[in-house]
Amino acid sequence: MKLKHLFFMDMRFQAKYGFYFLYAVLTVLYVAILHALPRNWTENAAAILIFSDPASMGLFFMGAIVLLEKSQHTICALAVSPVRAAEYILAKTASLSAVSLVVAAVLLSAAGAEHFRPALLGTFLSSVLFTLCGIIAAAKTASLNQFILRTVPVEIVCFVPAILHLFQVTPAWLRYYPMNVCMDMISGHSVSAIGIFSVMAAAAVLFVFSKYRVLKMWDSMGGANL
Amino acid sequence: MKAIRASFFQMTMILRRDMMLFVCCLAPIPAGFFFRFAIPFLESLLTEGFHREAILSPYYKLMDILFAVLSPALFCFVSAMVSLEEADEKTAVYLFVTPLTKTGYLAARFGLPSAAAFFATCLLLPVFKLTALSPLILFLLAAGGALQGMIVALLVITISSNKLEGMAAAKLSMLTIFGAAIPFFLRSNLQYFLSPLPAFWIGKTVLQDSPLFMLPALVLSALWICVLLKGYLRKA
Repeated sequence: MKLKHLFFMDMRFQAKYGFYFLYAVLTVLYVAILHALPRNWTENAAAILIFSDPASMGLFFMGAIVLLEKSQHTICALAVSPVRAAEYILAKTASLSAVSLVVAAVLLSAAGAEHFRPALLGTFLSSVLFTLCGIIAAAKTASLNQFILRTVPVEIVCFVPAILHLFQVTPAWLRYYPMNVCMDMISGHSVSAIGIFSVMAAAAVLFVFSKYRVLKMWDSMGGANL
Repeated sequence: MKAIRASFFQMTMILRRDMMLFVCCLAPIPAGFFFRFAIPFLESLLTEGFHREAILSPYYKLMDILFAVLSPALFCFVSAMVSLEEADEKTAVYLFVTPLTKTGYLAARFGLPSAAAFFATCLLLPVFKLTALSPLILFLLAAGGALQGMIVALLVITISSNKLEGMAAAKLSMLTIFGAAIPFFLRSNLQYFLSPLPAFWIGKTVLQDSPLFMLPALVLSALWICVLLKGYLRKA
């Protein structure tokens, strides 16, 4: 019940601050780009667009979301409420993944992709990984610039291998790298059980670490350790 | 002037604390090496791999534009993020009633960083450019880039009222830079739909090697800046 309320509160928060408007504009723009590209480029272009924007929005926006919550003292209220850190993280992950899935579905339709279900699953899994990375980076930051700086290495580690993997210029063993598995799913390539397991394991590790970071953040609210 | 200078140095202190000052000053150099050396290397790999004569090289002029806009966009973007923090923490409104005034605040946050970026581009672009650009075009490109950076920053702080809206606005306003790519990819008259973007004319200037196209770019930039400044001063 608490999780459901948190989920809808997060969605209201995102709607209020123009998140949905932004993604409506970006989706129109991306669809226009996909239509302007030669037919044989669209599937790879759609995969890159999905992976680098809707799927990774949690990483890009989490700093602003958490810092705004801090300045509005929402986190202080949550810290003393019965809400658990795991619920806070799950609600954020689910609400951002929902937006990712809608945008990805539109882009996949525009690209005429036939692998709809695996691509959406790949989008969801990459969105979860990116959002958890965003929470880990945001929980400890004090300013937007600091957050942006902290996400740069994460972006390099996540995007570069995945995009190179899409063009098949990575060594074979990197096909089990979680981000590459997600990219394979988004671009309609088959993935192995080991690949899926590596994504799940990465998500579990990131979840545990983000929970630890959120608890630390809650403990340090109000200028003193509770 | 003294107040503007003090406010600018106060901002650099904030950026130094976040390590962002270090990144802003240094990032254009590795980016320059990437543009100058990694892109031609990638081109040779791609042309070999795909057995084609040219893949990236027809767009080297566009790469030069992107490099010219990089420093101003970086400098103004971090200034916009500081302004958003100040708006959220309500320190900006206190600064407005000091001898700094609203216009002084804007000059310290965006005017001086744009000027610094202009000089940085004038120094770095001749070293890292991929195509032969005349000194006049280089100078105009640096000026256009600095104004574009200012437009991006003003868009962010004018249309947003907090950090989250600011990040969303930053994402959208950065897209205005890609107006420069339109003349390279859209050859029909349809391209003129995006002619209100100053970056579109910067793209035309470099593509057609005609400094005359910089005139609409500069006039449009001035118009955009005036409208956005008015909007911000009304809102603040």
